[in-house]
Amino acid sequence: MPSRSPVAVIHQAQAGIRRSALRRQLQAVAAGKSTSLSIDLDQSGVDVGEIIEEITSRLPMESMPVQRLVFAFKSSGTADRVVERLGAKSPQQRANSARVAGALRLTEAVTWVAALLESRDRAVSDAAARALGKIGGARSATALVLAIQRRGLNRRLVAELARAAPDLFVEVALAEPQRPAVRPALAIAAGLRRRQTAVGPLMRLMERGSRRERVISCRALGWIGSGTAVPVITRALADRDWKVRMSAAKALGALHAHSAKNDLKYLHIDRNARVRKAAEQALYRLRTR
Amino acid sequence: MVSRLAVLESAPVFFSLPEALLRALARRLRRIKVSAGDMVVFQGEPGDTIFVIERGRCRMVIEKPPGIVTVALLSEGDFFGEGAALMNRPQQASVYAQTDCYLLAIDRQVLHTTLAGRDNPALDELRQVADQRFRTFADTSVQATWGLLLQEATVVGVYSPKGGSGGTCISLNLVGAFARRYPGEVLLLDLDFPYSHSALLAGLVPTSCLARVSSVPQESFEEVLLSAVLYHPGGPMILPGALRPEEADEVTPELITKAISVLRKSFTYVVVDLGVTITDSTLALFDLTQHVVVVTAPELSAVKSAADAIDILVQLGTPHDRLSVVLNNRSFKPAVTKTAVERTLKREVDIEIAFDGSRPEQAAVDGAILSLTNPRSEMAKGCEAIAALLDSKHGRPRHKPAEAHVESEGVPAGVGEAG
Repeated sequence: MPSRSPVAVIHQAQAGIRRSALRRQLQAVAAGKSTSLSIDLDQSGVDVGEIIEEITSRLPMESMPVQRLVFAFKSSGTADRVVERLGAKSPQQRANSARVAGALRLTEAVTWVAALLESRDRAVSDAAARALGKIGGARSATALVLAIQRRGLNRRLVAELARAAPDLFVEVALAEPQRPAVRPALAIAAGLRRRQTAVGPLMRLMERGSRRERVISCRALGWIGSGTAVPVITRALADRDWKVRMSAAKALGALHAHSAKNDLKYLHIDRNARVRKAAEQALYRLRTR
Repeated sequence: MVSRLAVLESAPVFFSLPEALLRALARRLRRIKVSAGDMVVFQGEPGDTIFVIERGRCRMVIEKPPGIVTVALLSEGDFFGEGAALMNRPQQASVYAQTDCYLLAIDRQVLHTTLAGRDNPALDELRQVADQRFRTFADTSVQATWGLLLQEATVVGVYSPKGGSGGTCISLNLVGAFARRYPGEVLLLDLDFPYSHSALLAGLVPTSCLARVSSVPQESFEEVLLSAVLYHPGGPMILPGALRPEEADEVTPELITKAISVLRKSFTYVVVDLGVTITDSTLALFDLTQHVVVVTAPELSAVKSAADAIDILVQLGTPHDRLSVVLNNRSFKPAVTKTAVERTLKREVDIEIAFDGSRPEQAAVDGAILSLTNPRSEMAKGCEAIAALLDSKHGRPRHKPAEAHVESEGVPAGVGEAG
């Protein structure tokens, strides 16, 4: 390891001191011991968003610590500065501000954060997607769906859509006319959310959707673990497309669908090796449970 | 916009909001079309949205084995999902669209940005409604599931999370107290595994048990089960869960459900001694009971265990008014005061049983039930109070105690001589 200059060591120590001072200040506000907040968002070596995330992670929006922090940010004018910096030139400032807005669940910042999804800088667009996932609600979810429309199926956007979408948002969107990339993304999001309410729309997609939609719906139904979907997935074992057959076999294994055992055995003589392997693995899962 | 506003104005709680707020809410609503038969929310899942019915009808059901109970039929202006959205509880019930519906969805973010921080009591009122509904629906489902209104037996679980708190003694004396009100109509089912001693403490010699009925065919199940019941001369009846520790494994949740459904038809009260451990059988029983009595002693570990047990019971959906706490003083000067116990449990002690000297131990040696043989003892008085409390809650008319069983402190003929 190369030895660092004394100046660099001192700078690092100073940044550490500033970070811990900020953490203490924010913790005091969150605990209700203090109401005043004075934050310099441009302190070198201090990532304000990260520290707020550390304090507010796993806390719901309506919890008192988050509410106290939001109140202190708003009353000190810091929240306004955060929103202003979402349009800053520096990508780092934009990404940091998006993180702060997400950690504080600033719903009023959704419009500006959503605009950052179009950024060419990946760090900025990822930070914006994460922030929208944290803020949640129909507006955040709509912004993420629009971004998927523009950019196509993107892992980060889909994961954050699953997190942000309120009840029945994904289910309703699945039933509406959508651009080609959107419906598969919605199906994945529905699977990731693991809600039984999505079973009906996903089953309909299995019957009427494109090849890609059928493949993804199968897997999503397997993740949700809905026994009512077993007959539909079993029918998909006879699909013309090998990817659908493979996906259906995997889903039936995940569902521990013993009723589909014989249908899975037929796939031992499938002409596609990957389908045969998926069927074998599914049967193994059935045997071990 | 106008129609949304009209729907919100007709909804409970929302109608009291100022018009500016109502308009702000109406602007942010999502309008959702749901086809007849579609599921809107699913019981047990998390939720973040309140749904107001704009048009159509929905059915709210609670799945509670062995059946599904419809707890409400909702129409225009009604709302649901508020418990999950505001209290962070899992959905208490599933909601299905009965006809094609239009719903207005208000998600958590909208609720908080619109209603919070404006000195507005609407959010608190909504939380209050959510809490009230939670209790009402829990109660309705319990009553409907077990046909309380059909005068079938009330099942009372006696659970003592810490050994040595007197759970078995209280169960036995509780059936004694009930037997004075309903002679021949009260049963104690002893599921205090692995050692079930209720029969022994009552001076009875068991010859069969619930575990041994497990392999009996369905058609003769009822007959064989009832023939395993032991009759105490004082009035109560006892059904041991297992005679040997290794038989305890035979008592599965399915067997318990089947047995309770038979016993409920034959008795007025079925008291179940649940013992100390929480097993699958205990959990099954919690679902089947109409009332749970948690027994604790004024000792640090017992009180802590009781607090944990109450938390579990509440999480399992036991309504607060279906749960009673009994404090059993096992020593003359308890180390922990009643106030401290209540502070730890975060609820009041419903019945306190005063220290009764060596009477309970002596009664066990004699094979007597104090509530039948010595009504003046503290244990008998405490159990009489529990019986009265349960009777008042479960709508049983109070019978005059059978005079034959309250003769001074003397032992009535036959009691204690059985076995």
